[in-house]
Amino acid sequence: MSGVLLEVENYSGAFWSPTNELVPVLHQVSYRLKTGAMTAVVGETGSGKSLVALSIFGIQPAAFVCTSGRILYRDTDLLGIDEKEMRSLRGAEISMVFQDARAALNPVFTVGRQLADVYQLQHGGGRSAAMAKAIEALRQVSIPEPERRARQYPHEFSGGMAQRAMIAMAALTCRPSLLILDEPTTGLDVTIQSDIMELIVELSRQRGLTTCLITHDLGVVAEICDEVVVMNAGRVVETGTTEAIFTAPTETYTRRLLAASQLLEAAA
Amino acid sequence: MSFVNMSVGDAILQVRDLHKIFPVEGGRRLVAVDGVDLDVAAGETLALVGESGSGKSTVARCIVRLIEPSGGEVTIDGTAIVPLPTKRLAGIYRRIQMVFQDPNASLNPRMNVRQVLDEPLRLHLALSGAERAGRVRELVEMVGLTPAHLERYPHELSGGQRQRVGIARAIAVSPDIVILDEPTSSLDVSVRGQILGLLLDLQQRLGLAYLFISHDLQVVQHVADRVAVMYLGSIVETGPVADVFRDPRHPYTRALLSAAPVAQWGVKRTRVRLAGEIASAIDPPDACRLVGRCPMAQPSCSAGKPSLIDLGQAHAVACPVVVDRPT
Repeated sequence: MSGVLLEVENYSGAFWSPTNELVPVLHQVSYRLKTGAMTAVVGETGSGKSLVALSIFGIQPAAFVCTSGRILYRDTDLLGIDEKEMRSLRGAEISMVFQDARAALNPVFTVGRQLADVYQLQHGGGRSAAMAKAIEALRQVSIPEPERRARQYPHEFSGGMAQRAMIAMAALTCRPSLLILDEPTTGLDVTIQSDIMELIVELSRQRGLTTCLITHDLGVVAEICDEVVVMNAGRVVETGTTEAIFTAPTETYTRRLLAASQLLEAAA
Repeated sequence: MSFVNMSVGDAILQVRDLHKIFPVEGGRRLVAVDGVDLDVAAGETLALVGESGSGKSTVARCIVRLIEPSGGEVTIDGTAIVPLPTKRLAGIYRRIQMVFQDPNASLNPRMNVRQVLDEPLRLHLALSGAERAGRVRELVEMVGLTPAHLERYPHELSGGQRQRVGIARAIAVSPDIVILDEPTSSLDVSVRGQILGLLLDLQQRLGLAYLFISHDLQVVQHVADRVAVMYLGSIVETGPVADVFRDPRHPYTRALLSAAPVAQWGVKRTRVRLAGEIASAIDPPDACRLVGRCPMAQPSCSAGKPSLIDLGQAHAVACPVVVDRPT
């Protein structure tokens, strides 16, 4: 599998309904994340884009059942390993950034403490060395006054600053090969969103990360992604390079999604 | 405060020197809205854009008196809404209505669609039961729903359908102007297009004026005639949408427009960057609110808050620096 870091292969799954029936939600989902590339997984609410991402990270909801398929990371099937093995991959190999960073961070610990804890867990060493690394990571994501910020709690951070801290934790304190970002800028103001996306691109390039960006914002995709996976209603509709998806989409759904994003009349 | 006549034709809604100050602990003052002037002409759409904390939603809420303004005047077709005794407000709501961002939170979960739409008719119009029932049926069809939806409760509707109900409720009493507070920002892009299409269609059919509050610049460009850009409680630039988007003058407008990505292949943006994040609105100094973030700041920017300066063609900007140094 040279050139491919992760491959989702015929991944299908269902949710248990309240009446104890299995309701299928993912249908033979297949896509590849090329090593070193930035791949966007786009789709609207209910497309299943986040559910696949959560599955890669091994944190799919308890009511979800995988009914077929594999998720190959390097040569390991992530669906076939136990929680202990998965935990050894999280952070070290695969990291994830969530939509609402202030909700994803623990409200009762300072931001610096949380980064330092993750550092110690991943790399060992003493507390003060870990805190120094945490402050350094905050500095690298352009958080002003990182020493003071490290002593603050998540609620004292703005949404944009909290997302920077989250990215510092996921991409710098951890040293993953694969970074998954689930709607990292949704809910942020447009100027802040642009700053955060620039930071993500810069860090990904610097560290040679393979990045998977889950988003509904095709503007961001057009600007920064190399590859695109279009999902709708639990299925992969189309995959291709960003240029191909934007300039020569083959599927009706892709064309409709593009038209809606550009506020054009649907060219179906 | 310099007065800039921003509207074309007669203003149906006029806002003058609107202020909203929230007291905060320690006797300090949070200045959410700091002297806003707006005019909306009959049948036109004025977009009010800005980021979180700019005060755009507070302006909307002050206009309809959901929160009490601290000062200023609001008139609708010459009749004052601000100031006006609260008990006389009911008559005003026949003229001005509002659609909220989150149709989930703005519809009563215990009322079905029929009850939601009947309520404003009962409150504001002297109609018989049969007339109201007829009007309710007419309304659901106007917003693209069917009479079958009348018996449904909000939780039985999709997000887009709920927003259609919110729109039907707003137009029920045939207002002159509807304030739309981020009406599509909680919707998927395909639904967003449908709701915008509906709003444009209703505007044409009913001659409605809209005050369209949004942070989505693409949507604003699509639906609005004129735009007013807010930053920290004040309007920093206003003008026809085509002019402001083609030739933004205020450094904040430039930063905002240049930050929005375009969903097309091969579009290159040159960003205008501001330093840091939005400043605090608590006890702001008497200076341009962008001082400290602005790449063009001069010493004079700290000597008093600039007023809007008329650039002609209904375009105005609150920045003497860019006016003195034309591009």
